[in-house]
Amino acid sequence: MKDDILVEQLSKTFQVPEREPGFGAALRSFFHRKYRDVQAVQQVSFSIQPGEVVGFLGPNGAGKTTTLKMLSGLLHPTGGKARVLNFTPWDRNPDFLKTMTLVMGQRSRLSWDIPAADSFLLNQAIYRIPEADFKHTLKELDELLELTPILRKPVRNLSLGERMKCELAARLLHRPKVLFLDEPTIGLDITAQARIRSFLREYNYRTGASILLTSHYMADVTALCERVLIIDHGRLKYDGSLTELSRRIAPFKLIGVTLGAPCPCDLGRYGTPVHGDDGDGKQFVQVKASEVAAITSRMLADLPIHDLTIEDPPIEDVIERAFQE
Amino acid sequence: MLQIYKRFWQVNWAEHWQYRANLMMYVLYGLVSPVVYLAVWITIANSQGSVDGLTANDFVTYYLTMLVIDQIIADISQYYLADKIQDGTLSSDLLRPIHPVLTQTLIATTAQKALSFVALAPVWMILVLLFRPDFGAVTLTSFLLTLPVILLGAAIAFLLGVSVTCLAFWTTRVNAIIDLYDALIVLFSGQFVPLQLMPAAIQAVARYLPFQLFRYAPIETLLNHLSPADLARNYVLSAVWLALALFIFNRIWRAGVRRFSAVGA
Repeated sequence: MKDDILVEQLSKTFQVPEREPGFGAALRSFFHRKYRDVQAVQQVSFSIQPGEVVGFLGPNGAGKTTTLKMLSGLLHPTGGKARVLNFTPWDRNPDFLKTMTLVMGQRSRLSWDIPAADSFLLNQAIYRIPEADFKHTLKELDELLELTPILRKPVRNLSLGERMKCELAARLLHRPKVLFLDEPTIGLDITAQARIRSFLREYNYRTGASILLTSHYMADVTALCERVLIIDHGRLKYDGSLTELSRRIAPFKLIGVTLGAPCPCDLGRYGTPVHGDDGDGKQFVQVKASEVAAITSRMLADLPIHDLTIEDPPIEDVIERAFQE
Repeated sequence: MLQIYKRFWQVNWAEHWQYRANLMMYVLYGLVSPVVYLAVWITIANSQGSVDGLTANDFVTYYLTMLVIDQIIADISQYYLADKIQDGTLSSDLLRPIHPVLTQTLIATTAQKALSFVALAPVWMILVLLFRPDFGAVTLTSFLLTLPVILLGAAIAFLLGVSVTCLAFWTTRVNAIIDLYDALIVLFSGQFVPLQLMPAAIQAVARYLPFQLFRYAPIETLLNHLSPADLARNYVLSAVWLALALFIFNRIWRAGVRRFSAVGA
């Protein structure tokens, strides 16, 4: 089968201006600006077949968004080749732009001052969608995303989840064959995240579109992607199935405890202490998944525990661990 | 394509309608300079009888005509494009299979101007009642001859204005450059004073620049003050500058988008 996306040795280097802090340095940089090369993406190669849903993972600054921007034609690479639906993306051929979409969870393309329905009509004209197709697709999107109650409200009055639903619908009205999704569920509550995931799964099933998805939510990836690409410092570190990835990483969980009373307890007795992000007094220990039940029982028996949680490690930790091991 | 323009127009009017007070303020702000110039020159003309042969009525008709011509021709694309380049939101527009400037920006500015007329009309009528201009020199022929001059002037002003705004691809912030460009327009277009009152050197330069096509040429064509030779010369100059402006815009846009996509859209 012919690949929908083919990437060979793709690289992108940015020139970033930099200077020392202070007024003197600011003055000097006015006359003599210094630049530093940042290699955002380095010789990345992969291919995606029609209908595949692939997770594109990596820590912040790994090169995920830069790659997506190159593949959607927004960025010129500094090296390598890419073909998407047999087009070179950065030629920005209108026929290419009509057959793909890029959804960035942190950027809205809808006009804030008017209802989403008006933006949909604008997209119908821009993508030259025949009336019958437009109505059919909108009906389908409405079924999947329950758009009717929110279509006539100005976008600025919608909640984040409602806005994301409209955003997705607006980007999919022309039924793109390739979807680049950059953090499509960012900031959404659990229910909205689940709804978007189920929508994407259904859209992929109904249309056979290929999807390349970045997300920091492991649930997005496990729900949608059988295959993941892992990128770090601009280099592709892993290309394979999620199962294989889990097998490669020693499975572990984080047990978070909030103690009900001050106690000089050494949590290192139960597992490897790790720093929590919450700043609410909760302490975490990392333990093997197979030992969670036993260690939890011991902790409940030994410690004055006010609250206890068992969590999957953050996706960035999983990825980091994958390469440490 | 007409359907795309129509939809953009509807969206823009809907957006502007949300901020109608803002639109009204914009129109009133645009009135300030011409009305001040008008008041000053009327006072001088009345005290001296005329200024270099221009009577008080000449000034009144000139500036009241300018209020309308300025609304049509003045380029306001910077308000729609500069921020998008600066903050990167232009990238969303670049993902669409249309030219962002020749569709979205063009229609946004045109739609705003059309709405501005609704606000300008009553104010203009009040000014007419206050200053009682004599538009007796305007004929049907001069009116018809003015229409292509206005259209050409608006097209050139838009393309050059957008080209200047596109310098934001390199400088990120472009407001100071636009201010400088606007100063050139004020100086050479006949916006400050009718060009025949400017020093000879400025008049000589202005004859070859596009800026007089934005104000002086259409106003003087409508008021029937130009000889057939001057009319013909303005048409030729407009055609030449339109071709040049198209060329300049095309080059700057292509290079700008390439740079935008090189440094991080």
